[in-house]
Amino acid sequence: MPPESAAKMHRPTLLAGLAGAAAPLALAAFGQAQPTPAILVALAVGGLGLALARRDPEPATRAVETAPAAAGDPLPYAAIIGALEDPVMVIAAGAPGETAGHRLAFANPAARALFRIQRQDARLITAIRNPQVIELVDEALIGRIAGHGVFEAGGAHDRVWVASAQPLTGETGSAPLALLVLRDQTDLRRAERMRADFLANASHELRTPLASLTGFIETLRGPARDDAVARDRFLGIMQTQAERMARLIDDLMSLSRIELNEHIAPQGRVDLALAVTDVADALTPVTRDKGVRIDWSAPAAAAATVEGDRDQIIQVIQNLIDNAVKYSSADGVIRVEVSAPASGETPPPLDPEAARLALLAPDHRPGELYALLRVSDSGPGMPRDALPRLTERFYRVEGQKSGDRSGTGLGLAIVKHIVNRHRGGISVESAEGRGATFSVWLPLAATGQAAGPEGVVKAS
Amino acid sequence: MNEHIVRSYEEELNQLAAEVVRMGGLAEAQVNDSIQAFARRDVAMAQAMIGRDGKLDAMEADIERAAIRMIALRQPMANDLRRTMSAMKIAMNLERCGDLAKNIGKRTLILAEAEPAGPVTRSIERMGKLVASRLKEVIDAYTNSEVDRAVSVWSRDTEVDEHYESLFRELLTYMMGDPRTITAGAHLLFVAKNLERIGDHATNIAEIVHFEITGQEIVSERPKLDTLTP
Repeated sequence: MPPESAAKMHRPTLLAGLAGAAAPLALAAFGQAQPTPAILVALAVGGLGLALARRDPEPATRAVETAPAAAGDPLPYAAIIGALEDPVMVIAAGAPGETAGHRLAFANPAARALFRIQRQDARLITAIRNPQVIELVDEALIGRIAGHGVFEAGGAHDRVWVASAQPLTGETGSAPLALLVLRDQTDLRRAERMRADFLANASHELRTPLASLTGFIETLRGPARDDAVARDRFLGIMQTQAERMARLIDDLMSLSRIELNEHIAPQGRVDLALAVTDVADALTPVTRDKGVRIDWSAPAAAAATVEGDRDQIIQVIQNLIDNAVKYSSADGVIRVEVSAPASGETPPPLDPEAARLALLAPDHRPGELYALLRVSDSGPGMPRDALPRLTERFYRVEGQKSGDRSGTGLGLAIVKHIVNRHRGGISVESAEGRGATFSVWLPLAATGQAAGPEGVVKAS
Repeated sequence: MNEHIVRSYEEELNQLAAEVVRMGGLAEAQVNDSIQAFARRDVAMAQAMIGRDGKLDAMEADIERAAIRMIALRQPMANDLRRTMSAMKIAMNLERCGDLAKNIGKRTLILAEAEPAGPVTRSIERMGKLVASRLKEVIDAYTNSEVDRAVSVWSRDTEVDEHYESLFRELLTYMMGDPRTITAGAHLLFVAKNLERIGDHATNIAEIVHFEITGQEIVSERPKLDTLTP
């Protein structure tokens, strides 16, 4: 490592300090031993921690503050280690053969907070009892072998940690020491898992219509070859299935397009009331077929003008009304309501007995006003426990019309991503048998000046 | 140097408790691994965790021996006797948890040869996570001598039972839908039952922890769901 050796020439003390703080991480990252500086520093801290722990029962923070002065060193190594966000611990070996006898000689505040360590010289086992980690520490203490491994801390917040243990050389005659450093890998794991889930779901959703297409093709080439009536009927079904696949692929592509632009503020202005009219008009054939009526109310023209990408806002309204139509019974009524100005809080409930949940809440600036769009249907509604999962991709409320699955399961996920891009919020309220109401609120466009460039500045 | 120091009685009791915590960590890992192997249909992981069960048995024997030695040599009284006895009893419960986890591992090996069961697997995994978190909590309560936490685990056992009931129904529907799934379904049923039993052992440990600390048994009758569970 040339930069490090260069630094060594000029500032040996600084290097030792920084390497001491960083070496455990570097080691865990590269799986490579680089013993001297790390051990020196950790030894200083660990030894001091031990000495102080034996002398007075003060809390660890005191020990950390006094340590550098005692060492007479220009750099506050202990404070540096104390300030690290990763849990760092120095462990002293217990009596031979007693793994449960290992004790903590030092633990930085991050480690103390994470494992709720109260006692100065607590046993390691009371902090971490994962056998893999205990084994790592054992090997570092007794076998003097450095190693690392991944472990999961169970419980409500499933956290995944990478633990790395390395032997430290203590004073001669004292108990063997080892350094244990943990790094949080939870987000990485979660992202991996989500990707795997998404792939599994997407391929499953595509496979169902594909399987039915293949089946019908086989039938048409075989037994139904000369049956004109069956052929017509099958071709109709095949067309529906092919359309379903096309819709799914369209939705997947539009979702990935929206995600690409999610962190770029939208340009342009859209009158929400006009957009609702356009969508309602466009959906007339669908609503007429189903016998559903759309009742809508909106403020005066231009009162509900929001900053936004017109196509995307239309898509939000369309997906919401589409859903409402889908879940309404024949001759049901869908209420669409646009109002402005509204605050950035979750809108007040329409039905006091329904469960209510914010699916997306914007960080709103004080004084900022929003336009509110509410779409209510009189469909079967949803149980409370389904609400938090509504914007998950491919999520479907259990037991709801699995026979007629015209939707792709992506509609609300698309809505969420678009609204998020527009710095808006979404909430849902529903109770079983009492319909559902989706509310979307978007920031009103600033009056008088062009909204576009300002929006871009805000985002950057 | 340590071996020359005559260790205090208190120290010996602490060491015994620490060994139980260590065993708890192992039992927890066994349960977690069995659930993970089951959910991912990971044959190698299931085999590895089955192989580790012997370690748990050996630890239980060690703890029992140490506890009996304590009773014989130190003749503990009152609080100390409760601590010794609860170490022994908790070790026993943990060993049972390990056995049940091993059984899940074995069924995972069989299930890996059948078709994936889909959503039912997810439900069982969810129940497994719940049970694992109960076990973790109760061992935490034992480690830090927290009565409140032990009582909270004890009083929430119904949640696990409810999960089991709903899984039971889900599995029946699954098996009735397609008789070819009955073999897999029966194994899944046992996996769920094993998880429910691990939850019961966590509740037992909570009772032991409560008794160890307070010297009294948890008096009020725990709300229990008894429609299907014998």
